[in-house]
Amino acid sequence: MKHVLVIGSGIAGLSCAINCAQKGMQVTMVSPFPSERAQSVLAAGGINAVTASCEVGDSVDSHIDDTLKGGCDIAGKEAVRGLCESAPDIIDWLKKNGTVFTTDADGNVSKRAFGGQSYRRSCFCGASTGKQIVTALVMEARGFEGTGRIKRRLWADFYSALIKDGECFGAVLYNEATRKPEAITADCVVIATGGQNALFGKTTGSTQCDGYVAGKLLTQGVELKNLEFIQYHPTTIETAQKRMLISEAVRGEGGRLYIEENGRRVYFMEDKYGERGNLMPRDIVSRCIEETGKQVYLDITFLGKEKILQKLPEVYELCKKYRGIDITKESIPVTPSVHFFMGGIAVKNNHETNIKNLYAIGECASIYHGANRLGGNSLLAAIYGGKVAANSIEQAESNDTPNDWSKELKEAEEKLRSLKGSKSPYPVKYIRDMLAETMQEDLGIVRDADKLQKGIDDVSFYLSVADKIRFDSSEMAYFGYSLKDILTLAKATLLCALSRKESRGAHYRSDCPAASDAYKAATIIRYDNGEFTTYLDTEDKYEN
Amino acid sequence: MRIKILRQMSPVTEPYWQEFEGDFAKDQSVAGMLDELNYKDDLFDVNGDPAPRIQWECSCLQGMCGACAMVINGRPALACEVFLRDIKGDTVVIEPLKKFATISDLVVDRGIIHQNLKKANVYIGEYEGADPKEYDHMYAAGKCLKCGLCLEVCPNYSDGSSFYGAAFANDCFLIASRSKSRKKAITKSYQKNFEQGCSKALSCVDVCPMKIPTLASIAKMNRR
Repeated sequence: MKHVLVIGSGIAGLSCAINCAQKGMQVTMVSPFPSERAQSVLAAGGINAVTASCEVGDSVDSHIDDTLKGGCDIAGKEAVRGLCESAPDIIDWLKKNGTVFTTDADGNVSKRAFGGQSYRRSCFCGASTGKQIVTALVMEARGFEGTGRIKRRLWADFYSALIKDGECFGAVLYNEATRKPEAITADCVVIATGGQNALFGKTTGSTQCDGYVAGKLLTQGVELKNLEFIQYHPTTIETAQKRMLISEAVRGEGGRLYIEENGRRVYFMEDKYGERGNLMPRDIVSRCIEETGKQVYLDITFLGKEKILQKLPEVYELCKKYRGIDITKESIPVTPSVHFFMGGIAVKNNHETNIKNLYAIGECASIYHGANRLGGNSLLAAIYGGKVAANSIEQAESNDTPNDWSKELKEAEEKLRSLKGSKSPYPVKYIRDMLAETMQEDLGIVRDADKLQKGIDDVSFYLSVADKIRFDSSEMAYFGYSLKDILTLAKATLLCALSRKESRGAHYRSDCPAASDAYKAATIIRYDNGEFTTYLDTEDKYEN
Repeated sequence: MRIKILRQMSPVTEPYWQEFEGDFAKDQSVAGMLDELNYKDDLFDVNGDPAPRIQWECSCLQGMCGACAMVINGRPALACEVFLRDIKGDTVVIEPLKKFATISDLVVDRGIIHQNLKKANVYIGEYEGADPKEYDHMYAAGKCLKCGLCLEVCPNYSDGSSFYGAAFANDCFLIASRSKSRKKAITKSYQKNFEQGCSKALSCVDVCPMKIPTLASIAKMNRR
């Protein structure tokens, strides 16, 4: 029986684990905390699908066109076609697994409008679509856990992949209970660890998503892709503890963005782009907000209290609880904030990386969204990616090569020992805070070569001290050992942004403000012995 | 603001109290306060002695993941949803949830919640559709965070070895209302692991951060 090691237990990890288990494979699902803590539960808005009850005129082809257009023509056409064609079946699959979708009077799944879409096609569950999907998939996985087909490993962190001669044979995990690394072999390893939030400190997402796995894999020979494309969500609200997302659903329900000038409201998005201006793609809205140089507000009061409480109860609660704002009476002060990473681990259409038997799915993988992701496509991609990877793994040859990994384990132990023995004055958290400041400053909504170079210099300095950090034994060991590769990923991200001398989607360069056909391809970055190399995937090595 | 925390270095060491002091914005939550306390600078207690950083679980910081459940001034709650403006007096006393084994400081092992659901095979199996009238109830039950607050306050729940508590009852409702193949087995398991042990104190309803109508779940399951 094939053994699949899934790293991460959010929606992508659950989807892959369930699909593998359904195909008769044995799955070990690794995450320090249970699925309910995953960032997936924060996905508020919806999941795109053209179902039988779609709007008149909508079609799968239109979903494909919108996705490719939103991604500014650098996402793979075939990959996107597969994604969009599978969407209706995925909605059915989720329903059967118990996802509580909002339905209309006829019992059809309700749909809302999202930015960059020609038709209303985001199926949703109130304002907690991600949470409802997690609940359903946790229940479905539980059935396989009862039979032992899926085994969960909690309190364990990824340390490194077991890679030899371009092939993956498992992973080294760090057991936080025994405080030791351990090797787990598998026929295939699937990475489902989410985005790279920690590069920017606190984002709209989970504090648990930090990009370490992508950074570590880069140093182990795995190619990364499109790291420069980082989505700033246009509407987030500042609170004392983090920036919280104001779902695009508010604009989907008619919410209007405005600034105040001389005592009157200026609806700048509608002035510039017409009636649907508030629902332009996220990169455009974020840039327009930044250009105003003023506090921007989002107004939904006109919808009325009853409808707001019925359609957007979570947004109402959030604003009231964390800011004391009653959205039925007042506008919401909003500002753009880092929200989603289009870039990540480069994967082929079957979600395999450039390393045989190593797969990546969900936000940590880069494939469907090109230069910018449409709202409602991330949940879809997470579930679809899990399914595609499971199908591919089922077809893959069984990996029965016996391997002795004691050398790799010993190396990991020695590295951890030397880290624990460091006497440096630099605590990890200080360096992570400095990194966040650098990235927010130098890799913001508007970039230029000077800023990016400054960012690269700063991160290079942090990297030079990363081996000498002060290891804090009162923290999870992961927090200490993950630093260096988070920094490596940050540097790779800045280098990708510097290498793309044009503006496209979420990557806007004030020194090269136009799109250029010469860059109409994905950026790939690889790492070898401290040297980073970027190139454009003009031959569609990964996608077609 | 004075912060008094019940600390414990590992599952096998003795707990002890340690006090800290700091100035925080009134709109800050207890979670944000812990974060500031831990990372503003090196950590020292009120006596000026260096202290190990405070261990606590967090993920979303906005009441949607259940990670930061703890006991604050004697009341179990999510730390990200308790604001300093609502704290009476100038001391916050923080303890870990007591119905679960402590791993370190405020981090506890809540694995028993998942273990019991797994043991009772709480999954849908063959889906038979749901009554549209049940939508609101199912949606609310689907938001359960598995944070453990309902178990912490329940007078009937001790260690989860026989009585599984409100989180179990709500998941049973989610299955029984839609499963063709598992309805009978789940109802039986509910009777054994919940109905027989629940004295309907309903403290679980009051404490639930997601406002899940557990009483309705119980009523519907009891009628089956």
